[in-house]
Amino acid sequence: MPYTTITPAEAKPVASYKMATRMEGGRLLYIAGQVARDAEGEVLGKGDIRTQARQVFQNLRNVLQAAGGDLSDLLKITTYITNIEDFPAVAEIRSSVFPGELPASTLIVVKRLAQPELLIEVEGMAAIS
Amino acid sequence: MDRRDILADNPVEKRRGYMPGVSVSPGRILFTAGMTGRQPDGTIVPGGMAAQTQRTMERLQAILQHAGANFSQVIKQLLYITDMEAHAAHGRAVRAGFFGEARPTSTALGVRRLADPAMLIEIELVVDLPDSPTGKPLLEKYNVEDHGLDFYQGVIVNGGRLIYLAGQVANNPDNTVAGVGDWKRQAEKVYENIGHVLRAAGATPASAVKETTWVLDIASWRQHGTAVRRAFYQGDYPASTLVEIQGLARPEFLVEIEVIAAVAR
Repeated sequence: MPYTTITPAEAKPVASYKMATRMEGGRLLYIAGQVARDAEGEVLGKGDIRTQARQVFQNLRNVLQAAGGDLSDLLKITTYITNIEDFPAVAEIRSSVFPGELPASTLIVVKRLAQPELLIEVEGMAAIS
Repeated sequence: MDRRDILADNPVEKRRGYMPGVSVSPGRILFTAGMTGRQPDGTIVPGGMAAQTQRTMERLQAILQHAGANFSQVIKQLLYITDMEAHAAHGRAVRAGFFGEARPTSTALGVRRLADPAMLIEIELVVDLPDSPTGKPLLEKYNVEDHGLDFYQGVIVNGGRLIYLAGQVANNPDNTVAGVGDWKRQAEKVYENIGHVLRAAGATPASAVKETTWVLDIASWRQHGTAVRRAFYQGDYPASTLVEIQGLARPEFLVEIEVIAAVAR
């Protein structure tokens, strides 16, 4: 793994994610914010956070795999949602996608995303060996 | 420079003017501060979204040029927009004029407000610089304008190891929230936590290269958080962005700060 997980003794994460990651080698991959569009560009799961969240993490994985990596190579993700009420469902689906610990992580509730029907967007950086 | 565009078999994103992914072999990486339509006198350029986007892109271009770079080397753009419809109608074409055929990865966020209530758009970039880091100092922090504010407009990491921190909040080790309803206490706790994480990663506050501060209320942050931030960095600031948003992971959190730092190889 071309990165080190940083675990400070004095500061703890709010949930099961890494407090920080330090890239030690490999290629630095920046991933565009992924949204619940299919290959034709159609927004899936309008009004349905679970469908959107599943599609977003699938799209994220697709980009990682196209770059020669996978979810375990992520240094950091940022999850943007438009309703805080959606967070429990997002957290549940996200935990099933990352069975262990999440990468370093940030959750932000924004006013809206690129299209009004989008409920979630996830971006990330990874170290690809 | 050894850039690879990652298409992920998805033609939609190609048409939309950005790449799903871009990977580089990190040699020299430039992080810009979030730039806006601010003018030298501190006011925001008149003329709405098109004029603000134009001014923002010109300022970013100056930051790139200082580093010997151009828009084709941008690997990531982050757009903070207070009016998405106005951006689609009047801002996007202006940006496209600067990027030409270049396709960075991109994230566009609709946010409640930016540092000045008159700001409609703020843009920050991550840039892969083509030349070798050999013989250069680990960090080059610079301004291209005499703005007098507490951040650098560009920070170049020369061959360092990048450290990505999770967004830091006013969380106690026992998972309770420090300073409920108290901006100053939360600011202190957040920077205390950032300090702990940086130290554990072999870094210091001066190692910070980019900071994004997400707050529920910019006026309150300015009143109570700025002094705490100043004491933390002691003049050795990162490139930074300040954004007002609707909410964070817990209702008690007033502020969340993300930091990217770097240490020598």
